[in-house]
Amino acid sequence: MLWYKSWLETRWRFLIGLGLLVLSASGIVLFYPEVMKLMPLVPTIDTNGVLGRRIREAAELQREYRGYVWSQWFRQTPSQMGTLFAVLLGSGNPLSSGSEDAALFTLSLPASRNRLLAVRAGTGLAELLALTFIPSLLIPMLSPAIGETYGLGSALVHGLCLFVAGAVFFSLAILLSTVFGDLWRPLMLACAVAVILGLAEILLRSQSMHGIFWLMSGESYFRRTGVPWAGLLVAAALSVSMLYGAAINIARRDF
Amino acid sequence: MADPLIIETTDLRKAYDGVEALRGLSLQVPAGAIFGFLGRNGAGKTTTIKVLLGMSRATSGEARVFGLAATSADASVDIRRRTGFVSEDKDLYGYMTVDEMIRFTAPFFPRWRADLQQRYLRVFELPLDRKVKALSRGMRTKLALLLALCRGADLLILDEPTSGLDPAMTEEVLQALVAHVAGEEMTVFFSSHQIAEVDQIADRVAIVDRGRIVVSGELDELRERYRRIRLVFDGDAPAAPLRAPGIVRTRRDGRVLTVLSSAGADPIVAEARALNPVSVDVAPVTLKEIFLETVTAED
Repeated sequence: MLWYKSWLETRWRFLIGLGLLVLSASGIVLFYPEVMKLMPLVPTIDTNGVLGRRIREAAELQREYRGYVWSQWFRQTPSQMGTLFAVLLGSGNPLSSGSEDAALFTLSLPASRNRLLAVRAGTGLAELLALTFIPSLLIPMLSPAIGETYGLGSALVHGLCLFVAGAVFFSLAILLSTVFGDLWRPLMLACAVAVILGLAEILLRSQSMHGIFWLMSGESYFRRTGVPWAGLLVAAALSVSMLYGAAINIARRDF
Repeated sequence: MADPLIIETTDLRKAYDGVEALRGLSLQVPAGAIFGFLGRNGAGKTTTIKVLLGMSRATSGEARVFGLAATSADASVDIRRRTGFVSEDKDLYGYMTVDEMIRFTAPFFPRWRADLQQRYLRVFELPLDRKVKALSRGMRTKLALLLALCRGADLLILDEPTSGLDPAMTEEVLQALVAHVAGEEMTVFFSSHQIAEVDQIADRVAIVDRGRIVVSGELDELRERYRRIRLVFDGDAPAAPLRAPGIVRTRRDGRVLTVLSSAGADPIVAEARALNPVSVDVAPVTLKEIFLETVTAED
């Protein structure tokens, strides 16, 4: 029944996130023919400056469908929206997303705090898994509708990268929620961390292959240098560490 | 043989940010008692309950429920499996309906009483399909009580069960509680600052003040032991203090010396006779008077 409670507490965040990501993924696939019609205009764009370079790079990638999907979807939307919803799913009092007093009712149940936290984290991670894999898998499913194909394996690898990297932000939000207990502070702090990391990756481009958003985009896999196993392992270890920290926090906390 | 103790705390201390909420609280609650835990706001009642249920950790001292250490995380789960609890604010999950709240809670308790669930749903007239957040405070209290009573618990811990309720609803809740306990073998430990309701349903009482127990015992025995002795003298009452055991408080007011005793009147009356009062009047005291005198004596 704890699963059911966690689901009720997070279902709207999850469903809204899933709806937006599914719409976004579908839109990107279905608008590809329209984008291709604009490709002849690309050479007329001034390519000076950073913005111009980015446009030219994007245009180059979009000459083939695989590059288009990566640059428009895996590199952009889930990195931003997926991160936001990962943080949203992890934020809020882990014992009750209602009030602190409702948390007392939860604590009066014969369930250990570890179990309560594990169920809350498990539910959130399952929802994050759905948020990252369902829209990703929609791409190979919808592609035939526009006469294109996209590999199921690629979608799964990119989904894995999105999930594992997203889980870092989810775990950070859970950890912060065991410290603050409300919804807004963990949400804002975790978002702030995400923005700082994102900016750092933009500013330190030479080091960006060590960044969480680089991992999330699955760029190394896209550029055929392989699945970023080391990065995935580090990210997973980071998530586990933060969830462990959250368990310690919740065990020590007075209510 | 004395009843086994369901709750026992020894020199329990709890500090929050340097402020001592409990200052060596020692308490014994025997099996089968309806135990009123009386104290002013901020006296340490809720903190004690939270420690007993593993919601807060004591700074030092010992707390045992059913003989199990409340400070142990594993034992605390066992304690909660055998305990019904109603918190002061009766906050439940606002996003659930009454029916969902019951279906969520029941599976945690192997001895869940479906028969009582049906009975209290009927008696309390709880609307199954209404969201908890749409319930009035009174209805929320009734739902919280249903969820606690149906657990098949050996111990019921209620934190200010009637706080925020109107007199009619308070009476309804207390009557339901008394009727329930009459039919079940259980111990009730309830905190309150409402002396009348403790007087109405408790058979044992402890008064807590500033994190310490200042009075504890059976209610009838307390009523028997506590006496107010009023001595009237020809001139001003003598300033010399009485030394008889059990004096809680002495008050001089002109020719009148009033003494509150926790050990009957006889030793004090015997000592006071030597002071040649013109009259000696011994009167029983109410729980309210005991409460007010003991907690204000500390001021």
